[in-house]
Amino acid sequence: MSGNRLIWFHGRECPHCRKLAPLVDQFEAETGIRLERLEVWHNDENAKLMRSLAAVIAPACGGDLGVPAFYNEATGKAICGGRIDMPKLLAWAKG
Amino acid sequence: MKRLWRCHVCNDVHWGNAPPEVCPTCGATNSFVPSDLGEALEIIGRDHPALDDREGVLAAWQWFSDQSPTVRLTAKADEMELLCKGVLENLRTKGQRYCPCRLPTGDREKDEGLICPCNFLRQPTFKETGECWCGLFVRRGTQ
Repeated sequence: MSGNRLIWFHGRECPHCRKLAPLVDQFEAETGIRLERLEVWHNDENAKLMRSLAAVIAPACGGDLGVPAFYNEATGKAICGGRIDMPKLLAWAKG
Repeated sequence: MKRLWRCHVCNDVHWGNAPPEVCPTCGATNSFVPSDLGEALEIIGRDHPALDDREGVLAAWQWFSDQSPTVRLTAKADEMELLCKGVLENLRTKGQRYCPCRLPTGDREKDEGLICPCNFLRQPTFKETGECWCGLFVRRGTQ
């Protein structure tokens, strides 16, 4: 399945995800671009989708699937990890 | 290939490719004999305390931290509590104390590498940032 969604895979008990949430809020407010937030530890469908994208996401996460991870359906690009900042998010979103 | 071993002197149980030459419990030399799951469970006791609550998990992490010359637990108590909650939630719903920031693949052997604490020292993240993926363990000497 592919489309034009910008997906944020996150985990409810992941501290980096919690810390990134305000940045994502700010990103959406400033750009008007909405991210689809998919929790992967408590939602099997979301986890399944993330696993299906492992070939792209895992390398971005250092080899294993991890959160926080961002996947751009239009470009097929992923970024991952707790050190994501606004410039990185913008570059990823705009391809 | 890993298997179970039993010290014939003190019944210490070991899981590994080969047994220790010297038993870490009684000090006997060349004392291990191949064992199996039934025997090991009988020796360990099925009432062996489970690590299935906050206190147990935090104590295990603290023990790991205290004996390590390389890493220590994060000083961020709120993050530690959140991760502990996640690990216990994973134990309840996925059957293991998996890292709350990684996703199991369904491949048992691969997923065993996600049990917290995982072998984060080999991960690029630790090499680059001095933290495990979650930030639960950090290299000694860092903030």
